[in-house]
Amino acid sequence: MEQLKITIAVIIAVILQWTLRNVSDVFMYVDFPLIIIVYAALQRNTIKALIFGMISGIAVDALSGGLLGANGFTKTLIAYAVSEIARRVYLDNLLLQIPVIAGACLINDLVYYGLHRLFGQELTSPFLETIAYSLIGTTIAGTIVYLILGSFSTDSLKRNKRGSSSSRRQTRRRNPIRLGKR
Amino acid sequence: MVERSQKEVWRLTPWLMVALLLGNFVLMAYDAKTTSQERVIRVWTQAVANFVQSPVTSVTSGVTGYFQSISSLRTAQTENDALKQRVQELEVEVQKKEELADENGRLKALLELKNESKYKILPAQIIGRDPSLWFDSAIINRGSLDGVKLNMPIVNNGGLIGRVIAVSPITAQINLVTKDKSGLGGVIGELSTSNAIGVVSGTGKKELLEMGYIPGTIEVQVGEMVYTSGQDGIYPAGLKLGEVAEVRPGSATVPQQIFIRPSAKLYSMEEVAVVLYEPPPKPEYEKTLPNAVKDDKKKR
Repeated sequence: MEQLKITIAVIIAVILQWTLRNVSDVFMYVDFPLIIIVYAALQRNTIKALIFGMISGIAVDALSGGLLGANGFTKTLIAYAVSEIARRVYLDNLLLQIPVIAGACLINDLVYYGLHRLFGQELTSPFLETIAYSLIGTTIAGTIVYLILGSFSTDSLKRNKRGSSSSRRQTRRRNPIRLGKR
Repeated sequence: MVERSQKEVWRLTPWLMVALLLGNFVLMAYDAKTTSQERVIRVWTQAVANFVQSPVTSVTSGVTGYFQSISSLRTAQTENDALKQRVQELEVEVQKKEELADENGRLKALLELKNESKYKILPAQIIGRDPSLWFDSAIINRGSLDGVKLNMPIVNNGGLIGRVIAVSPITAQINLVTKDKSGLGGVIGELSTSNAIGVVSGTGKKELLEMGYIPGTIEVQVGEMVYTSGQDGIYPAGLKLGEVAEVRPGSATVPQQIFIRPSAKLYSMEEVAVVLYEPPPKPEYEKTLPNAVKDDKKKR
């Protein structure tokens, strides 16, 4: 279920990345595939995160004026780095995940820029401004997306189920103790 | 059992990452080296993406158009009155022009001149914008099956927008003139009378172009119109680029720095047109020069 959710999320993210800039220029500062890849890596789906990182990156590059494979490279790298961090540090809390999205976005942009410079390609957007807006846009969108994905998570559904039945169990337990005291 | 398989995954992951990174690196190196015609993966992905982008674009433009039409209803009555008056004025003008056109035709026939339109125009719609924030290309719904070729100029009623940088059978990718760092030939004022000829390139900023190589001794005024000079071997001469927005004076030895505001609205365009123009072939002597630019490199 979790695997299917991430697969669908990646497909939707790529389609949104392809189309949303047509609706408004604001959306160009949100990297939807990166958000989902970081999410997959945080769920410790390392192999899936790596493969999805490469595929979604190449899909974005194909419609972009940039180098084919540059986004694939950065997203693969991010997927690996985040999954390694998630393996060692407990990052299941949303508050801890926010700085991870921000850091991933920053590294993604820096590596992307560096790769283009390495291959002698000139980027047309101003460096600092683009990175700053991208950081803000992706972090905000990432937080919202993680909240949505978290609400669909199977773990949270189980927790909700447990939460609703626990009150009944407590009342059952209480009664014999009270009877015993009396 | 589960523990072991997890360990195996952890052992496998670094190798998988290295393999994927290498694959991407090879792809980048190949893409950086190849010419625009050989970008097979890019071209076919664009063609596939067209099936997603086209419906989304038509839906969003439909919704936007609906809300715009509601907001414009308020001004419709006054506009209607003004337009009726304008139609009457134009009818008189058309009659005058018809007479002039007849006269022109007769005179041309006398001089045996052919009345040919210079370039064919192919209307197109923008169906997608660059998904990367570092670039600003766009995708149109016309491709090689419609006769679109590499480097063909893209215009709208305001003037020049950019050029075609990749073509698939049903779509084409265009680069905006404001983001094109390679430069194009421009002239301030009429080509036949002006000597202010320079190179216009993108600044990376929205709605601003920069013109270089204009000697400091030539007088340039803010508000003067800038056109393509046709000397770059890509764009035809006479396409409107924009008007001079700022002049930073130079001297006899230092060229002026001129900033141009494009006349085409580059960031709110939906319909554009492809100018089916192919530059004349270069003369043989130019190809043999030691510093000659190879065709393949130029098209990049």
